[in-house]
Amino acid sequence: MTAVPELDPVIHAQARLRVVVTLSALPGGDRVSFPSLKKMLDLTAGNLSVHLTKLEEAGYVEITKAHEGRTPVTYVALTRRGRLAFEEYTEALRALLGGVT
Amino acid sequence: MDEVSLSPDETLRLIEEQRKAVRHDLIPNPLFTYVPWGAAWFVGYLAFFLAYGVDSAGISWQLALAILMGGQILAGSAMVYGTTRSSLRVKGHTSQRGAMYGIAWFVGMAVMGWVCSTFVIHLDQNLVGLLFSTCSLMIAAVLYMAGGAIWLDWTMFFVGTWMAVVVGIAAAVGQPYAYLLFAILVGGAFMGVGVIRRHRR
Repeated sequence: MTAVPELDPVIHAQARLRVVVTLSALPGGDRVSFPSLKKMLDLTAGNLSVHLTKLEEAGYVEITKAHEGRTPVTYVALTRRGRLAFEEYTEALRALLGGVT
Repeated sequence: MDEVSLSPDETLRLIEEQRKAVRHDLIPNPLFTYVPWGAAWFVGYLAFFLAYGVDSAGISWQLALAILMGGQILAGSAMVYGTTRSSLRVKGHTSQRGAMYGIAWFVGMAVMGWVCSTFVIHLDQNLVGLLFSTCSLMIAAVLYMAGGAIWLDWTMFFVGTWMAVVVGIAAAVGQPYAYLLFAILVGGAFMGVGVIRRHRR
């Protein structure tokens, strides 16, 4: 009997999953600004911050702070590890649904 | 804070919907990119055809040039609007590619204008318009092909290839029919591609 694959709990929360999907849809080498990510996902700044911290602790996202003129802007990108974790997550999902992985 | 757990198929659906939303946000609406350029070239080059090929149309080449340039300025404005309205502010490789690609257009067109203008005094006045048209459309064709290679966009690549072929044929045909070819085969193709891509978005 094959073992039931486990879903990565860091990614499996709905809001974090949407964050990871959004970041994974960006071409490699790109990062997105915090305010625009918040707007696209329709989350509050506090809520998004909490989710990003969890993803950062797992090593799935990289958060960089930059200055554009005098305005500080935070950028978020998926790390290589995060991209790999998301690929494994979708494979595990398909396996749960009985598809070919 | 974590929401109710979704079933695997609901989760896959959520992933697909989110991916689609991001793609929709990042890829410019073709109604702001392909269609305005198609319309500008269709109307502008049709005016050139009428100016040089149909005496009874009463259109001077100056008026045709004004129509073409005006249309291109409007198309350029629409394209800038269409490519900058994405709500996701992305930095990194994509913005660097976009900047280099934009500079390539500017440099290509500026140098082409300079080079062609140095030949103008040696040419029959009737050929000046055709020289500028073929050279500028050829640069556009090459940059569309290059854009297709940069963003792995086969439609963009084939549109560039098609433009290059039409430019080659038009140069052999000569005016006034070269302008009619540009209007229908380039302008029309751009409008058609824009509408088809809009429906497939």
